Order: sequence, then C-alpha cells, then structure tokens
Amino acid sequence: MFKLLLDKELKEIVGTTKFAVTFGVCAVLILLAFYVGARNYDVSRQEYEGAVVENMRQMEGLTDWGEIDHRIFLPPQPLAALVSGISNDIGRTIDIESRGELRAEDSRFNEDPIFAVFRFLDLEFIFTIVLSLFAILFGYDAINGEKERGTLALSFANPVPRDQYVLAKLVGSFLALVVPLMIPILIGCVMLPLLGVPMDGDSWIRLAMVIFAGVLYFGVFLTLSVFISAMTQHSSSSFLMLLVVWIFMVLIIPRASVLISGQAVDVPSVDQIDYEKSKYSRQLFSERMNGMQEFIQENRNNDDHAQFMADMQEFMGQQQDDFDAKMLVLTEQLNEQRNNKAARRQKFALALARISPTASFSLAAADLASTSLALRSSYMDAANSYQAAFAQFMQSKNADTQGFRFMRHGDDEVEEPEEIDLRELPAFTYEPPDVSDAIGASLPDLGLLLLFNIVFFAGAFVAFLKYDVR
Amino acid sequence: MEESNRMEEGTSAARNEAPLLEADGLTKVYEDGTLGLNKVSFTVHPGEIYAMLGGNGAGKTTTINLFLNFIEPTEGEARVDGIVTHKEPLKAKERLAFVSENVMLYPNFTAIQNLDFFAKLGGKKDYSKDDYRDVLMRVGLEEVAHSRRLKGYSKGMRQKCGIAIAILKDAPAILLDEPTAGLDPKAGREFIKLLEDLRSEQKAILMSTHDIFRAKDVADTIGIMNLGELVMQRSAEELRGEDLEKLYVQYMAGYMEKTPESVPHEEEPAIS
Repeated sequence: MFKLLLDKELKEIVGTTKFAVTFGVCAVLILLAFYVGARNYDVSRQEYEGAVVENMRQMEGLTDWGEIDHRIFLPPQPLAALVSGISNDIGRTIDIESRGELRAEDSRFNEDPIFAVFRFLDLEFIFTIVLSLFAILFGYDAINGEKERGTLALSFANPVPRDQYVLAKLVGSFLALVVPLMIPILIGCVMLPLLGVPMDGDSWIRLAMVIFAGVLYFGVFLTLSVFISAMTQHSSSSFLMLLVVWIFMVLIIPRASVLISGQAVDVPSVDQIDYEKSKYSRQLFSERMNGMQEFIQENRNNDDHAQFMADMQEFMGQQQDDFDAKMLVLTEQLNEQRNNKAARRQKFALALARISPTASFSLAAADLASTSLALRSSYMDAANSYQAAFAQFMQSKNADTQGFRFMRHGDDEVEEPEEIDLRELPAFTYEPPDVSDAIGASLPDLGLLLLFNIVFFAGAFVAFLKYDVR
Repeated sequence: MEESNRMEEGTSAARNEAPLLEADGLTKVYEDGTLGLNKVSFTVHPGEIYAMLGGNGAGKTTTINLFLNFIEPTEGEARVDGIVTHKEPLKAKERLAFVSENVMLYPNFTAIQNLDFFAKLGGKKDYSKDDYRDVLMRVGLEEVAHSRRLKGYSKGMRQKCGIAIAILKDAPAILLDEPTAGLDPKAGREFIKLLEDLRSEQKAILMSTHDIFRAKDVADTIGIMNLGELVMQRSAEELRGEDLEKLYVQYMAGYMEKTPESVPHEEEPAIS
C-alpha cells in the first residue's frame, strides 16, 4: 500500500508541467549560482594575488625597514563562491604596524558598492529564497488539493490507513523534489574544480554539509507546507498562509531580530570609541608636551649637544612608551567593553533570528563555508598574531623603527645604504577554521533544522489523522 | 411489463438474503449542534437499488459519509455486510465502492493510470490494460480518450471514469452520491442501464439523487429525506401509479406525515 501511494505521489508531481517549468528554472539558477560563484572566486583570487604583489612592489627599493608600508590581505575562501556569508562585507586589507590597533578595511562591497545593492546570486540565496518557494509551490495543496479534486474521498473509500497515506505523501513529495534537484547541484559541484576553484578534501566535506543543510532547510518548508495543507480545507487558504509565513521566516524575522537586539542592547559605535581614544590621546599629548618643556627647562644648561640629544631621545622614547602603554590600556578597555556588549547583542540577535529556519540555514551554511561572523574575528586573530611576529622581525632589523624617531645629525661618514630584502618579511597566512570545527559550529543550527522538520512532519501527521476527507 | 416482472422477482429474491447495507437509527449531530441526521434506518439487499431523494441539506450525503466512515455517527450504526463501519472501517471499505458527485481524479494521469491506481488501492492488482479499456468502454468512454490526461476531460467524462473505478473494485455494495450530475441525457440513460447490470450482478446500490424520474425508473426502493429525517420509504411496487414528483413536493413541504416504516425507533428520545 505504501509503495503504491509513494509511486502515485512521485508520478503525480514529476509528471506535471508545473514541475517541468519550475524544476527547469531552479536547475538553471543552481548551475548559474555555481558558475557565477566560481567566476567570482577567480576574480577575488586574482585581486588578492594582485594586491599581495602590489604591496611588495611598492616596498621595492627601500633601504630602511622603518620606511616600509606593509599590508596583509584576507585570501578568498573557496566556498565563499557558494555561500558568501560576510566575506564581502568585512575589510580584507590591514595596514600592519609593529604596534597599535589593527583595522581591516576595504571590503568587497566598499570597493564595488553595486554588489552590495543586489548582492550575489549564490547557492545560499538559491536555497533560502528560490527553493523554499519551490517547496511551498508543491506542498501547499498536498492534502487540501486532493480534497478539492475529490481524490481524497475516493482514496479513503478504499481500505487505506491514514498514517500510510500521509507518510507516503510526505516522503513522496520530498523524494520527487529533492532527488531531481540533486542533479544540477552535482553538475555544479563537478563544475567547481573545472572552473578553477581549489577543492580539497575538506572543501568537499564542507560543501556536502552545506548541501545537506540545504536539503534539511528544503524539508522544513515542504513539511510545513504539507502541515498547513492538512490544517486547511482550501488550497487558496493554505497558499496565502504559507506566503505570509514565508515572508516572516525568510524576510522579516532575521532582519527584525537584528533591529530588536540593537534596541535591546546598546553598543557604542566605533566612532564613539574613536572619539574617546582621541580625547584621551590629546590629553596625553598635552601632558607629554608639558613633560618635554620641563625636560628642556631642566637641561637647558647642558652644553654637551650630543649628550642633550641622546638624553632627549631617551626621554621622548620613555614618553612614547608611556603614551603607547596608556593608549593600549584604554583601547583594550574600550574595545573589551564594546566587544562584550556587541557579543551580547549578537547572541541575542542570533537567538531571536533562529526562530526562523532561514536564519538557522544561513548560519549553518556560513559556518561550514567559513564565511560566518567568526571569519572577521579569526582574520583579526591571525592578523594580531602576525603583528606580533612582524614587530619581533622589525625589532630584530632595526630598533629605531619602533617608537619615536629622530634624525641623526653630525655623522661624518655616510655609507651607501643597501636595499632591504623583502623576502625576509614574515609571510602572512590565513587558515580558516578546521573542517571539524566548522561542522561543530554548524551543529546547533543543523539540529534546529532537523527539529523544525520533525515538528512540522509530526504536525502534518497528526493534523491529517483528524482531517475531514469529505 | 415482462421486464418489470423480472425485476420484481429479482428484488424479492434478494430481500430474502441478509442486507448488505444497513442504516440502523443513524443519527449525526455536528459539533456546532446542527442535526445532520436523525434516527435514519433502512436496508439495501443484494440486487437492490435504493434511491435517496431529497433537497440540499436533507442528509443524503451525510448518510453516505457515515457508511464510508468519513464521519462517525452520534448514535446508531451503519453496517456493510454486517460490519459496523465506525468500528472496523478498513474491513467495511473492502466491501464498498463509491462514486462521488464531483470526481476530478488526478488531472495529470490518463484514464487508465487513474483506474490502475484506484483499482490497486481497492486491492485489485491483477487487472491488465485491456481490462481497464473494457470497463471504460462499458461506461461509455471512447477509446481515443483512454490514454489522454484527465485535465482535458469534461465533467461527464470524469464522472464516467469515476463509475469505471467503482465497477473495477467489484465490491458487493456501491454508494453513489449524485452519480448522474454532469452526465448528458444519453450518458444518463447509459448509466441507468449500467445500474441495472450491476443490480443483476447482485450488487447492493445506495444512490443519492435529485433526479426523481431516473430514481423512479431504476430504483427498487425510494426514500425521501428532509432535514436529516427519512420522511418516506416505499418500494417501487408501492409507488406504481403514484405521482412521485407530487409526493416528493408534499413531503418536502411537510404536508405529509412520516410513513411508519421510515420511523422504526419512534419511542427513542431525540438527540439534543
């Protein structure tokens, strides 16, 4: 009986013009997403490699390590081609100094705002928007449509157990829609390495998990559609209800959660932090100037010019160190306060957003593709580690390159300076989180998607057991 | 005259057997308190056609729904071949075939695919395509239409498919809810012939209809329902020479008292 019902369900869905048209559109969009993503990755990689080369080129010919203007860049992540996450929003370029706070600048969207206007057509977009609608389109009349056609009453005029009927309906719809969708997705996967996206073993595992998350997400909307169809008597009612639910789940809740959390937890802006730091910096500068004047007053009778300059340099070096230490303490305090509040707001926003399966899917996919919110912090951690290595390197090269610098006068012998060897610079490498860590980070959201599936599946099951088939 | 005598003989022979369809004090009160059916009792024997007449909301479809266990009775029982439908619905449905008023079927399936699915659903797994074609021809559906998708079918053609599905199930009892709705006069006549054939195969047929004339032509027993009550129940023999249309109007208007045989449990209190 189950096999007969399942077979009917598969034929009924796959044999329709509606399926042929919508599947065709989805297949084209999926292939387009893979193609555009791969091309986009290629462009990003070329930009990244160009930026690295340009950075080195502009330091060529320098003779003093203290004069270098060194920058590091965030390399593009292969799976950002399919799940862009925040990879286009965060700054990719960081000016490296031996000390001081690092800032990432020049995001993709900052450089090309047109991309920010319409965003990318990536696989995540296809799943969240297109395939969720695809699921609704085939599930909204799963039960009440049969009633309207009279086939439900005719079926149940036969000895058909209701549980088997609804199970076949759910499993059949899922298989009839998901299995064909796997074809363009698998073709897209094959296209990736052919189009130059470096896919290693970890990347394939990540991609497989993204697709798995997408299938779970698709299942949520399909089971939800069958559930609502089993709760209503008319397909027009269920379609309207599903459209409203879709708008809330996909468009409203994730955005509203950010707005609500913004209202609930006040986080000082970067400008406010900068203002605080600038105010403190001016105060310290004033104190430093006073100290310098006092030093000059105290040492004005010193006739030994060279000694005076050496003392002055030492004094100013101490002043600079003192200034740096105080600014660092303040910066760390302000940043910690801001980060704590921002973390609280982020936690609240994400908890709220996860009411929607769309948020769960987006977060899981971004975690798996290493383009989640953690990308920014992991990039900054890597940059900070690099800064320490860079500072050590610079210290080893020239102690004068750090802190306050003075021009030396009176040297009699001037040697022709040698060009610095840029190959000695420590190399910056960014390694995304390990695949097991990425999967671990995505597990709560995958669990939520599974839970949504189970709840809606059970809801559809129970609702149908009580459904008026007349 | 000869045919009429033959029918009477068949019917009286059938009435000696146990009834296949029994409504025993069937009462249905809906959740909102509406009385859908009030102590309706009748029987349909093998080889008998029972026609339920009545206006909209009279309780005809409710009676059929109770036999199909689409709803459960508040009181009383609907029995199919002695099986109480709300106690053993799957077993009862093995002995039932059903044709509804508005059969759309699966529009993307051909007539043969629809027949194949519903035949298998009814437990008939050994039919061949030729069997399907034969039964479709029998209900008057042209061969050229057999392999066409139903989305291009007229209402009458779909109705014929629905009747073919009921025939294929080969169940001893057949429930027909407004089966002639949507059929043209020619198809209607063919349908009556089909019913007579099924009667000769000893099927017990319960049919709800608005069509007084067809009911009088084919039914062995006619029941008139009004506001959930069976207000008249007479055999075709008893109605011979009577103006059924006039009787119907009188019963529907409440001018006539209930016939005693239509109220077998008069002493039982009414459901509130």
